[in-house]
Amino acid sequence: RGDWSEDCWGLCTRSKEPDLSLSFLVSGACRAIQKLTRVRVVDNSALGNAPYHRPPKCIHVYNKTGVGKVGDKILLAIKGEKKKALIVGHKMPGPHMTPRFDSNNVVLIEDNGNPLGTRIKTPIPYILRRREGEFSKVLAIARNFV
Amino acid sequence: MWRALLGGCRLLRSRSAAPVVGAPRAGGSAAVRNAGGGGAAAAAPEWRQATDASLPKFNIDFVVNLLRQENAKDICVIQVPPEIKYCHYFIVVSGSSTRHLHAMAQYMLKMYKHQKEESDPHTRIEGKETHDWLCIDFGSIVVHFMLPETRETYELEKLWTLGSYDDQLAQMTPQLLPEDFILGLTSEEQ
Repeated sequence: RGDWSEDCWGLCTRSKEPDLSLSFLVSGACRAIQKLTRVRVVDNSALGNAPYHRPPKCIHVYNKTGVGKVGDKILLAIKGEKKKALIVGHKMPGPHMTPRFDSNNVVLIEDNGNPLGTRIKTPIPYILRRREGEFSKVLAIARNFV
Repeated sequence: MWRALLGGCRLLRSRSAAPVVGAPRAGGSAAVRNAGGGGAAAAAPEWRQATDASLPKFNIDFVVNLLRQENAKDICVIQVPPEIKYCHYFIVVSGSSTRHLHAMAQYMLKMYKHQKEESDPHTRIEGKETHDWLCIDFGSIVVHFMLPETRETYELEKLWTLGSYDDQLAQMTPQLLPEDFILGLTSEEQ
């Protein structure tokens, strides 16, 4: 019985072990989106899709707590510029019956609230509609809802 | 195509989930309410009656009449299929100046507050800080007030009528995962 559990454990560890041939540490998802999280811009704006040697990072969360969830505004550092953005999905599991995404998705926004891009291909959660805030514009340029 | 239909109030039927053969024909996608056309028409009357029952006074006719009264240019009403559980009607409207947009939005909100029952939720105007795009979400109806230049940039009518066949969506380059992306226990989607 002991051997069987060891084998079982061995199997589990073998499948869990990633190929750590990289020079940096990749951590799992801890809290949702806070300062210095790398995010993924999902709209078709020029600033979001232009290649740069550093990924866009969050530098401030406009929230009482420093943690941003879906529908919060954050400040991003992209291509050496500061831009506001809206969180539309994060890797951390949220409340029940809300979608959990495999990447921290973000939509670029101007200071007055107008979105920078004109289309969003990734699914956008319906919770945005319920939340207090100006989300109708982002929902209007979205294609799929989740 | 859709440019020829603007300049008045046109009721556009948006595409249902099944792909319809043939690119949007000139005049073909403008469906008059009385005329039945396509599979969407058969299903439309039942749930349109349901929406009318929920807000008997403040419905789509009232909103469109209000917009005509306010000299709104290029009123575009799109009937959204029930698969997209967002709203029933999506309206895009142009104004001549920023003040015009603000005045229309505030008047619309005032009439809604006047007409609504106690159980209806409160609505607010979004985009008050902007000079070119305001919108109001009335639950089953969403109204967007934009300047003509903004309307050209975003082309919301194209997105909501064409759906997946929109040309701006097609021009977006599909994002591929990098080769050194680590796959976790859960399967990553493209």
